[in-house]
Amino acid sequence: MEPTALAFLGAGLGAGLVALGAGLGIGKLAGPAMEGSARQPEAAGDIRTSMIIAAALIEGVALFGLVICIILATK
Amino acid sequence: MIQRASTFLLLAVLTAVVLPANVQAAEDGELDALHHSANAYYLDFEPFGKVQLPRIFVIQHEDGSYGLELFGSTASAILNGHFVAEIEEHGDETDSETHDAEGAVLEATEEHAEGDEHVQAAGKYGGISLEQLEGHLVPPGGAHVVIDMSISRHLFFAWIGMLVVFVIMTRLAGMYKRGVGRDTAPKGLFQNLFETLIMFVRDDIARPNLGDKTDKYLPYLLTAFFFILTCNLLGLVPFGATATSNLMVTVVLASFTFILTQMGGTKDYWMHIFWPPGIPMFVKPILMPVEVLGILTKPIALAIRLFANMTAGHLVILSLIGLIFSFANIFGPGAGYGVAPVSIAFALFIYMLELLVSFIQAYVFTMLSALFIGMAIEEHHHDHDEAHGDHAADTNAASVLVS
Repeated sequence: MEPTALAFLGAGLGAGLVALGAGLGIGKLAGPAMEGSARQPEAAGDIRTSMIIAAALIEGVALFGLVICIILATK
Repeated sequence: MIQRASTFLLLAVLTAVVLPANVQAAEDGELDALHHSANAYYLDFEPFGKVQLPRIFVIQHEDGSYGLELFGSTASAILNGHFVAEIEEHGDETDSETHDAEGAVLEATEEHAEGDEHVQAAGKYGGISLEQLEGHLVPPGGAHVVIDMSISRHLFFAWIGMLVVFVIMTRLAGMYKRGVGRDTAPKGLFQNLFETLIMFVRDDIARPNLGDKTDKYLPYLLTAFFFILTCNLLGLVPFGATATSNLMVTVVLASFTFILTQMGGTKDYWMHIFWPPGIPMFVKPILMPVEVLGILTKPIALAIRLFANMTAGHLVILSLIGLIFSFANIFGPGAGYGVAPVSIAFALFIYMLELLVSFIQAYVFTMLSALFIGMAIEEHHHDHDEAHGDHAADTNAASVLVS
């Protein structure tokens, strides 16, 4: 197989794994947050804020992976 | 029933996505999703045409002297003979010519372009072809470009964004100066709308993170919020471009946050980075580089997050629209018409999602900026007895934020 083809393959697989990891992380985060704000609606605002911060941080890590995939794919 | 239908829809989309996406791009080379959302030196008003933007270069001549080259458009730069366009060759269109010593870059001067198949395309955009318009301009001979200060599409739309924010904010400030909204209730749709957003930034973003230093950093946060929001929304306007989908723009925005964070940093902040208290001595040298890296990764993540979010939405929309042409090319025009309603419905959905993302990303950028600044300017009031537990918690929070 050509090295370029392998790079594309790696980029594609990597992007999939990144999406998987980020989805898992944000899902794990959002589920309890929903539950929490359903049980205690008066705390919904605080929960939402801290959820978005944590989600943004998870997303940040995922984006690092994604950028590497983009670099691989556009090489 | 609906569930089954939506499953079929999803399957159709998924099958289509794995199909070679560049089928139609290879055909005419004009509907390339990645290319379309990328930066360029013209405003795209297709199907009505393209408006080329001024090109400004600082070049160094072969004798070492510097010169400023200024052209009204890419076409005039090329047709005056001061520059030639280096045309990037697409990976799939391999012809024997590209495999010579020059590598993947094919120098196409005017004489060159006249000879081959681009002859009808030449002259379409003010005398040059699309490939030349999108190519990389280099001066012929021994001169080389030192700084390319050309006005690009994203820069142009960043300026429009600044102008919009400036006009809105000065009008609003004028109203408050006259006492409307300060002594009386806010008047009219305009003031009410923006007061809601400004209050949101102040009370929900700035105040919880910055405490009593809110007033000092609020102008920056408001500027960042409204500029990012305006730029994001300008990308959703027909013929518009998203300035925030350019990494340069987001890096500049994030570096403002970076500079403000470091400038506002208290003694405690720097101590936590270079000599983290409350941990065993031998861990300190290990933790120090991690903390220093943490300073840098925060703004980098800030920049890349905004860039990736704004780019991804446009790519998805363009890919969904591109599906119609892919289907038409592979299975015939009938399949193209069949896919079109589904494709457009999905594109509309993603468009709405992007409208939401525009607000969320402006919020997240401002929120995280406020958080990072707040963490740096925070004064630690504690005595040494309870310092240990407190610091352990702090370090934990910091390491979570680093990752």
